[in-house]
Amino acid sequence: MTHSLHRIGAVNDLKGDYVVLACLAKGINRESPEARQSIIKIAKIFKGHDPINLIPEFTWTISPVVTAAFNNISVVKKVIQALKKEDLGISIVISGLISEVQTAMKDVGLQMHTVHLSLGTFGKKELLPTEEEILEITTMCGHHCISPQSVLHQLERIKNGKTTAEKAAEKLSKPCVCGIFNTERATSLLKKLVK
Amino acid sequence: MLIKESKCTGCGTCVIYCPVQAITIIENKAVINRDLCVECNVCYQNADCPGKAIKPERLKWPRVIRNPFSSVVATHKLTGVPGRGTEEMKTNDITNRFEHAELGVSIELGRPGVGTLLKHVEYFTLKLSKIGVEYEKDSPVTALLIDDQGHVNEEVKNERVLSAIIEFKIPSERLPEILRVIEKADEELHTVFTVGIVSRVMSDGTIPVIKTLEEQGFDVKPNAKINIGLGKRKAKEGTLT
Repeated sequence: MTHSLHRIGAVNDLKGDYVVLACLAKGINRESPEARQSIIKIAKIFKGHDPINLIPEFTWTISPVVTAAFNNISVVKKVIQALKKEDLGISIVISGLISEVQTAMKDVGLQMHTVHLSLGTFGKKELLPTEEEILEITTMCGHHCISPQSVLHQLERIKNGKTTAEKAAEKLSKPCVCGIFNTERATSLLKKLVK
Repeated sequence: MLIKESKCTGCGTCVIYCPVQAITIIENKAVINRDLCVECNVCYQNADCPGKAIKPERLKWPRVIRNPFSSVVATHKLTGVPGRGTEEMKTNDITNRFEHAELGVSIELGRPGVGTLLKHVEYFTLKLSKIGVEYEKDSPVTALLIDDQGHVNEEVKNERVLSAIIEFKIPSERLPEILRVIEKADEELHTVFTVGIVSRVMSDGTIPVIKTLEEQGFDVKPNAKINIGLGKRKAKEGTLT
């Protein structure tokens, strides 16, 4: 799944980073043709709200999950409103700041059902990259397919004038096939690291 | 994963993409450390190898188990879900897997980006089984357990994967026992791991477990995954309930 739970970052930074996901339930609606159509409808709603990233369109008809990344809570609120209006009966999960999501949900007349809280990382943390910003970038791919070396490589290219932070962020997003890597946030973090 | 030496141009692009730093350049040729390689296919799918030297190999048991625990697109035969975990709380508004007075726990070994040997799963499962947790039946990690004591299949213990998630649920009052296991593992385990706690939200919007966690000395992150309750189970007559 998306593993969007353990995205690392300061509160101000996370204000620009939300993932919205729709998921079919095994043994309940995953095999339903109607629910499958609903998943496509939801993906179209995501697409219609200017996501920063979106799961590739070819997967909409085959994957039990569709995902998108957004850069602010106002857009997420509009997505929630649209999903509520459609009333498709498909489970929706939002990854992001609890307080912001809760307020947005209250505004549209919804209440949180279940939360998955993060207690963070434990164990042999000396094995992790020393720069926090590198982890902030790599943890935006929930399956951790983006290597710290690729971030360092792109940083070198930016420093040498061979690419821009925007293009580097796009390049870094390539291994994240779920479409939840927030390229806008990655651009900001790369610019911060270059400085 | 294999890199054919005769085709390798030594450009090093695959080295950059490898999430677990299993590839190095030796005498102008990329070489994969097979012990470290988790068979995630990231190098093959992303490096655009100019010599087309990278080639997935037909993996045999037990090495074959590395792939679904590491690749995004590989589907576990058991769960039928691409990825390493289950639906857990994502569909809880439909499945009701986690009820009030219950908590879900996810312990993901090897995350973020370090990887883990599957033998480290047993570090936890021996302790958790003694406490008496209810493992998620659809979890690929649960499928590795061979008995009620939490022993992991001996054949796979030395296989390295990008991450492995132990998923289980407990009655809420057992949480402190689980937290003590996590504290001990924080000191003793030879890899990293992340921890998540699944909880239902009260009708007034509060999440009481946050206070319990903080009282027990754990820092709850400000961001979470939130099921917004739009899922509905379909009734026989075709209406949503």
